[in-house]
Amino acid sequence: MNTVIIDGLSFALPLFIMAIGGIYSEKSGITNLAIEGLQGFGAFTGALAAVLVAGYFAGTSSVPFYIAMVFAVIGGTVFSLIHALLCIRFKANQVISGVVINILAMALTSFLTKQINATVFGAASDRFVLGVSNRLTVPGLSSIPILGAVFTDIYPFEIVIVVIAFIAWFVMYKTRFGMHLRACGDNPHAVDAAGIEVGKVRLAAVMVSGALSGLGGICFAYSISANFSSSIYVGYGYLAIAALIFGNWRILPTLGACLLFGFARSGGYRLVQILEMPSSYQDLVMILPYVLTLLLLVFFSKHNRSPRALGVIYDKGAR
Amino acid sequence: MADKMEKNTKKKSNVFRHIVTATLGNPKTQGIAIPIFTILIALIVGAVIMAAVGSNPFQAYYNLLQGCGLAPKESYATYRSMLTDFMNFLSYLTPMIFAALAVAVALRAGLFNIGVSGQMLAAGFTATILVGYSPLPAVLSKPLVILIGLVAGALVGGLIGFLKYRFNINEVVSSIMLNYILQYVCSFLINTYFVDPISRQSKAINPQARLTLVDTPVGNLKMDIPLGIILALIAVVLVRFLMEKTKMGYEMKAVGFSGSASRYAGINVGKNIVRTMLISGALSGLAGVTYYLGYFASIRPRTLADTGFDAIAVALLGNSNPVGIIFSSLLVTSIDKGSTYMSSASGVQAEVASVITGVILLFSACGAYVRYRVAKMKDAKEEQK
Amino acid sequence: MSDYIVEMRHITKRFPGIVANDDVSIQIKKGEIYALLGENGAGKSTLMSMLFGMYEPDEGEIYIRGEKVQISSPNHATKLNIGMVHQHFKLVQNYTIAENIIMGMEPIKKTLGLFPTVDIKKANEDIRALSQKYGLEVEPTDLIENINVSTQQRVEILKMLYREAEILIFDEPTAVLTPQEIEFLLNIIRGLRDNGKTIILITHKLEEIKQVADRCAILNRGKLIDVLDVKSTTTKNMANLMVGREVSFTVDKKEPHFGKEILKVEDLTVKNRDNFEVVKHVSFSVHAGEVFAIAGVAGNGQVEVADAIAGLADAAGGKIMLNGVDITQYSIRKRTMEGISYIPEDRQNYGLVMDFTLSENLGLKEYYKEPFSRKGILNKKEFDAYADKLIEKYDIRSGQGKKTVVRSMSGGNQQKAIIAREIELDSPLMIFVQPTRGLDIGAIENIHRQIIGERDKGKAVLLISLELDEIMNCADTIGVIYNGEIQKIADAKTLTTNEVGEFMMGVKQHG
Repeated sequence: MNTVIIDGLSFALPLFIMAIGGIYSEKSGITNLAIEGLQGFGAFTGALAAVLVAGYFAGTSSVPFYIAMVFAVIGGTVFSLIHALLCIRFKANQVISGVVINILAMALTSFLTKQINATVFGAASDRFVLGVSNRLTVPGLSSIPILGAVFTDIYPFEIVIVVIAFIAWFVMYKTRFGMHLRACGDNPHAVDAAGIEVGKVRLAAVMVSGALSGLGGICFAYSISANFSSSIYVGYGYLAIAALIFGNWRILPTLGACLLFGFARSGGYRLVQILEMPSSYQDLVMILPYVLTLLLLVFFSKHNRSPRALGVIYDKGAR
Repeated sequence: MADKMEKNTKKKSNVFRHIVTATLGNPKTQGIAIPIFTILIALIVGAVIMAAVGSNPFQAYYNLLQGCGLAPKESYATYRSMLTDFMNFLSYLTPMIFAALAVAVALRAGLFNIGVSGQMLAAGFTATILVGYSPLPAVLSKPLVILIGLVAGALVGGLIGFLKYRFNINEVVSSIMLNYILQYVCSFLINTYFVDPISRQSKAINPQARLTLVDTPVGNLKMDIPLGIILALIAVVLVRFLMEKTKMGYEMKAVGFSGSASRYAGINVGKNIVRTMLISGALSGLAGVTYYLGYFASIRPRTLADTGFDAIAVALLGNSNPVGIIFSSLLVTSIDKGSTYMSSASGVQAEVASVITGVILLFSACGAYVRYRVAKMKDAKEEQK
Repeated sequence: MSDYIVEMRHITKRFPGIVANDDVSIQIKKGEIYALLGENGAGKSTLMSMLFGMYEPDEGEIYIRGEKVQISSPNHATKLNIGMVHQHFKLVQNYTIAENIIMGMEPIKKTLGLFPTVDIKKANEDIRALSQKYGLEVEPTDLIENINVSTQQRVEILKMLYREAEILIFDEPTAVLTPQEIEFLLNIIRGLRDNGKTIILITHKLEEIKQVADRCAILNRGKLIDVLDVKSTTTKNMANLMVGREVSFTVDKKEPHFGKEILKVEDLTVKNRDNFEVVKHVSFSVHAGEVFAIAGVAGNGQVEVADAIAGLADAAGGKIMLNGVDITQYSIRKRTMEGISYIPEDRQNYGLVMDFTLSENLGLKEYYKEPFSRKGILNKKEFDAYADKLIEKYDIRSGQGKKTVVRSMSGGNQQKAIIAREIELDSPLMIFVQPTRGLDIGAIENIHRQIIGERDKGKAVLLISLELDEIMNCADTIGVIYNGEIQKIADAKTLTTNEVGEFMMGVKQHG
């Protein structure tokens, strides 16, 4: 049971932070299917930073991990500028733009990983090896029955994510910027009439989305895969989008959806272990979050309301 | 702000504007001029990357052509020549044409089929286990493979369409989910029942069932003859006819442009969404069988074919026009196919090919904007006169 | 210091292919109500858009309080204390009234003495006070999606006042209001003037000008025709100057001859997406040779009635009979074939496939039939020949004839294309929803004549309009809808405009 909770949380939280990024972008009116690519590119820059500085720190040091986090955020943000440019400036189809960015990110990071491994490290490898981040257990709280697992063996990034998620909620619902952002997704003309530049607000929203996606990506790289390679592209971004759709573009219900994915996955793995099934059955467990997504979408898609102006190209002249 | 900047650059770049309107301005040639422009930019970006890692881009691009049998190599092994390379290239091109048609048909109806790879796998896998391992003679097995591919692909595509029509599920999200589900389910089945312990792939199919005739002696050469390419060219003609000349195509395009106006006109939008995805899926299925039971003869578990994703670039570049797709698929496939030879000949990472494809995609996505800007520039120019 | 708060001197503004304003000069005094009168396309809105900083003039100068200014953006205009209520309100639907008003100028408090957050409590208080001062009667905490059009308009006025506007521009403010709401609004406008504000009123409604305006500038085809002192002129005189020719205010029409009952709606109920009844137990019938008009304020269920008849909305209850056949369960296509033509309110999203050519659009309702297609194969020649015929007959103008993509056509010609297509279907029932929205007077007259013409041919016409003038002009029978219920059905001749207005507000009870 404990492992189910521990593993479930460490899968759900990075997903959650990417989904919050998605909520930012979509609440501002920009459809963001690019999360998958953004998290991958963020993980790439983060991982690259980590392997470059790794030599200066002891093997057990967690400093490279924090450096990686910072660079993942920067990488995700920078790459998200392409989506912003295409959607806001070039008025491209936002769905196509998102998918294009995903494909481009995958191509670019695979190429760069190999190229950098070859030229900088002189190795023919398609991955950056990172290892798994240290874990910590909160004394006292962790000994509570069942719930204690929440405070056991936590990755430091889980704490970072919870803090950032709270800040994201606060900014979205309490501040001026959040108010403008949500208005952009409902009626950008009203925002424009109030003397606020819609493009700038949306640019900021997409950048937040890039930053948080990058953060989510590096967390996955440092936990599940323990390295950076093209195996980072297994649809985390799309799961995050599915989660925010069930969450009806609201932060707290989205957390619920992410937890559901996380526990379904970790529960499935545990089941394979307990029943001592051959490892090929893991492939069947892998499909759980995806099947769950489809099923939930069947039940929720019709009732949920997307932001009114979502995906609509904003043209000042048109009414 | 942005508008002002535009104004300033406009004043400065009269010459630029003249060049742009002269080359891209004619609406009749725009359909070709803009894709060519896109390709040029992508090739330049590719060249810059290659130069940056210390390779000669011209050499590398020439290697690409050599790898596809479009330019002669310095030497060939026995039974091999430029022609055998080219035939092998055609065998690789076949699934791409089908896949791009699948994307294009969906795009014309306003749907984005990013699940082509999954549909390919479903079709390839089903045909492999049903026919690929059977001892049926070629006259029976080959048509059966095609038929099964058609049906399996159509079913998966149709499911995506149904989910959109009935439950309002965005087809991009559902396609991606199905992609992963199919990938892992097939992987599980292959690893459990059909694995070849040495290659770690599915066991190779019987040659009778294969849609590419491998190593067929012709003169003093041994070449691969892709039967599917003929089918692909027929498909191009059929899709074009469907979209331009038929009632069904008219409805599909109407739905693609405006769902609400189509509904108002009495067109059954839901039926058209499902129908479009059935057709798109069937084309993906054909891509799948010509890929897994044509160019290849086995399936690697836990991987999806890049063809399904590159097909998006091909379709966008070809303006979703079936004839345009022939040309764009030639281009994109040659970059992809030639990259292996390029990598070994000039030492550039083969992955640069997908970067170039990605850049083509990126600029294709801006095509509508370029058209809009060019039109505006033209207006401004006429006003000045 | 000049006497005028606003002066626009020799303003010229060109758009590709058209001179929107041609050497226009106007001067507006502080504290007056200044009307700008002209047809659609006369250049009133363009002129004011330049004052509000949305465009910059090609030639000419603008002076505010005697100082020459270059107004570069609406923001800049706001800083100069200029405010504008647009024809289409710019409100965030899922925000409260207060949130909408303060957006861009939010009062800020420090949460925990540290984090700057929006002080929504203070905003609510401020806006309540402001609303009371000008008699605007709005509740700051209501959501925009729950309030009616007239209240939304007052929110727009509050937005300007909150930004301390001194010069208030109203763009066609009464187009969507009932007579009673118009009265209320005009009172507010007078109140604003009495508080020292300067009002610019863009309108083509002469009555309003006569009622509130002090002076009136008349524009025609971009040129300033005259500036009149309203008290010393007549509406007839203003109208003639505006159109540049004699106008008749009413459509000539013969006495109607009602034939058999074509459409019968019985106890119709329609629900919206939220499962809320927007049409409640509506019953009426329309005969051959009759124009039956449904009057009502926007959003009271009238469009849903039309949609339900045409099949675009499902009937949750009741029956729809066409020529004695129960069509309630029929598909949209089957209803069209059964004999319904439908000119929808939203021509860009419903009436036309904007990226199809004119020829393809004219065939939109008949493409599946012979001779347009046979055994699933289209006959393009037939499409083109048909298009040429309709273009000629209905005078549809476009850049490249039948090959024109309709997106590039003007609104008036798009509407002509829809009406041509629907009339040619030769259906016994014609439904017109807001057929003249956004068109100029010439086009409006023409469409009214077509409506009457169809009636005289023996068609049953269902007309749904927000413009009371249009209804009074065309209708033989008027049904008034309020809150999804029919309040009154009566012979048009027995009702006055004001009475209809009262039913539209739900003030007068059934009877």
